[in-house]
Amino acid sequence: MAWNVVDRNTAGDLGPGISDAVRQKIRGFFDRYPTRRAVMLPALHITQEALGYVSLQAMRDVAEELEVPPSDVLDVVSFYTHFWTHPRGEKTIMVCRSLSCELLGGRELVEALKEKLGIGEHETTPDGRFSLMTEECLAACDHAPCMMINEKMHKCVRLDQLDQLLDDPDNDRLDMPRSDLYDAPGGEKPDYAALARQHGHHDEPAANAEDDDLGYTSDVGEMKDS
Amino acid sequence: MPKIIIDGKEIECRDGIPVLQAALEAGWDVPHYCYHPGLSVVASCRLCLMEQKMPHPQTKEMGWAPKLFPSCQTPVKDGMEVRFHSESVENNQKHVMEYYLLNHPLDCPVCDKAGECSLQDYSEKFGNATSRMVEDKHKNPKKDIGPKTLLYQDRCVLCTRCVRFADEIAGTGELAVVERGSRGEIDVFPGEPLANDLQGNVVDLCPVGCLLDKQFLFRQRVWNLQTVPSVSPADSSGACIWIDANDAGVHRVRPRFNERVNEWWISDEQRHGFEYVNREDRLTRPRIRENGQVRGASWEEIPAHLRAAFAGDGSAFVISPMLSNEEAWLLATFARQVAPNAVLACGHVPVEGQDRSFPKGFTIRAEKAPNRGGVERILAHFGGPQMSFDELCGQAADGTLKAVYVYGGYPAAWITPAQAEQLSRLDCLVVHDLFDGPLTERADLVLPAAPWTEREGSFTNCDGLVQAFERARPPRSGIKAEGQFFQELCGLPGLFRSAKIRTMLGESIADLAETFQPRKEPEHAH
Repeated sequence: MAWNVVDRNTAGDLGPGISDAVRQKIRGFFDRYPTRRAVMLPALHITQEALGYVSLQAMRDVAEELEVPPSDVLDVVSFYTHFWTHPRGEKTIMVCRSLSCELLGGRELVEALKEKLGIGEHETTPDGRFSLMTEECLAACDHAPCMMINEKMHKCVRLDQLDQLLDDPDNDRLDMPRSDLYDAPGGEKPDYAALARQHGHHDEPAANAEDDDLGYTSDVGEMKDS
Repeated sequence: MPKIIIDGKEIECRDGIPVLQAALEAGWDVPHYCYHPGLSVVASCRLCLMEQKMPHPQTKEMGWAPKLFPSCQTPVKDGMEVRFHSESVENNQKHVMEYYLLNHPLDCPVCDKAGECSLQDYSEKFGNATSRMVEDKHKNPKKDIGPKTLLYQDRCVLCTRCVRFADEIAGTGELAVVERGSRGEIDVFPGEPLANDLQGNVVDLCPVGCLLDKQFLFRQRVWNLQTVPSVSPADSSGACIWIDANDAGVHRVRPRFNERVNEWWISDEQRHGFEYVNREDRLTRPRIRENGQVRGASWEEIPAHLRAAFAGDGSAFVISPMLSNEEAWLLATFARQVAPNAVLACGHVPVEGQDRSFPKGFTIRAEKAPNRGGVERILAHFGGPQMSFDELCGQAADGTLKAVYVYGGYPAAWITPAQAEQLSRLDCLVVHDLFDGPLTERADLVLPAAPWTEREGSFTNCDGLVQAFERARPPRSGIKAEGQFFQELCGLPGLFRSAKIRTMLGESIADLAETFQPRKEPEHAH
């Protein structure tokens, strides 16, 4: 056609698909939910963890596993900003752009990072180490300006700390264990009591957690039965 | 039946429908985009909001509730009182319209939907003449989302009717809303185009000019079209359609509501399969073969010729399932007038695969002819010698039959070379068809046929439902429409009127006299 039209009849490069191991991991979640469609978010998290992003081919593969049209997966992936649809670096820097951080120098932080890394928002450094994005609120307004590197929060970041922060190989090391929410079901359960002691919390885990292998409350079971 | 009060006027409505539907059926013009009676209700466009009377939480006194309610999502309840004409309702309509027009391009002069666009109508009625928006409008590329459909994202109001249609009616779910909020767009998955067999309906469903049919793209301005109610001949389901035509030909076919057959939808073959009526190479003149020479003939000399050729024994008439009940009845009547022992045969019935059903019950029939039921009913009434078309070809080959009148009228080539060869051995072969083909080459008399858009009458669908269709265009110059021609053959005076013939036909075949009229449905998409 004579004018500018995006062609959707052909796919182009769809990128990498998901491995059999990832498929197995996704299938392990089917029993937890009343329908396969409901496994969408865990499946996408698992996929993103395995590939670093959710490629078009991965969306098709997930759709195949969940028995939904691929467009439904695209719908969900594009709705949430935390799913990446293109490859990203080893570490993703997310800088808060909400009110408190903005007032206390968040914008300067973003500009400094752009200059140091030589990239813009939602871009990746050529060596593949860092990707940069801004985020609406990181829920740490009392420690503004704040930013996250992967899942590690950095609070009250000053411009003169940036170099040191970027060079630190442990800048994304968490001082608490990662969530096991998307680990394969049936694996070893974390020692909740030990975790609580380690972090100074004394709450015991929910009493019925022992009754349920998956650590979920019983209403999920009821939904499955109905 | 519940009674509700709208704007102080009491109306009676069907049970279990939303207030919006009741108001539309009672003649209110309530703006709405996302609501469609054939789809699930999402109440997302916020244009149909109304005020409702509710008991005060403390005093229990009935009064107008302070918030507005989506009338598409509120079922009717006996005694309820609502209003669409009040300051707050009208303010809402005005402000929602302003919001919809923020990013909408002013490209009505080049938009196919212009003239039947809800956004145009509502902005004229509820909107502002000027925009207060000073920022740049969002600009999105056009998307080629399928072999038959284009998507102009700029014009979209995100009513999601198309997405729900693909999910619920077609059951294929190709369409999705990608991104969100002000960046939301309708899209398909790359490489998974919108290609199901009902996809054309999303173009009708689209209340604005976002989804466009490539067949109709830039073809005509809609205000230059005349619309006529008809019945689709593309298969035996008897789907009701509107034909949009003008002097330049037939341009578009759209679904017409029919609660017993197609509801609000039609299949793509019913929608796009009309193009043959506009073909330049249609037959337009009778031709006669005399002493091995073919010459043009006039319609006036043909009745006498037919009477002479078919008077003896061994004559047969092939009555095509493309003919209406009235035409089939007239042709059979003539056959028995001229030769009481003439063989009557139902014409070739094209069949493709199996019937295909979609999740909500829409069915594409395998039988690609509109009126086999009606023709067989009429043949059963006439009785006498009858046979199938295949048997008839066999008897033509072995010399049992001498003269055969074949009515075709199919949109595409239909006869097999073997059958054409068998029929060519006849003493007299009369072919009444739309296009030249193997049979017309061998015929002694060729009569040009008119497609269903140029005729009127009624079809009996696969379930025995009789439905009338009207004429959208006069027969092309040189053609005498079948009804008129057969009526003259039978010696009936005057102009052909299908209703008159239907009454005559009803005296002997009562069940073909009554035509079914679908319920009148308010227009949800223009």
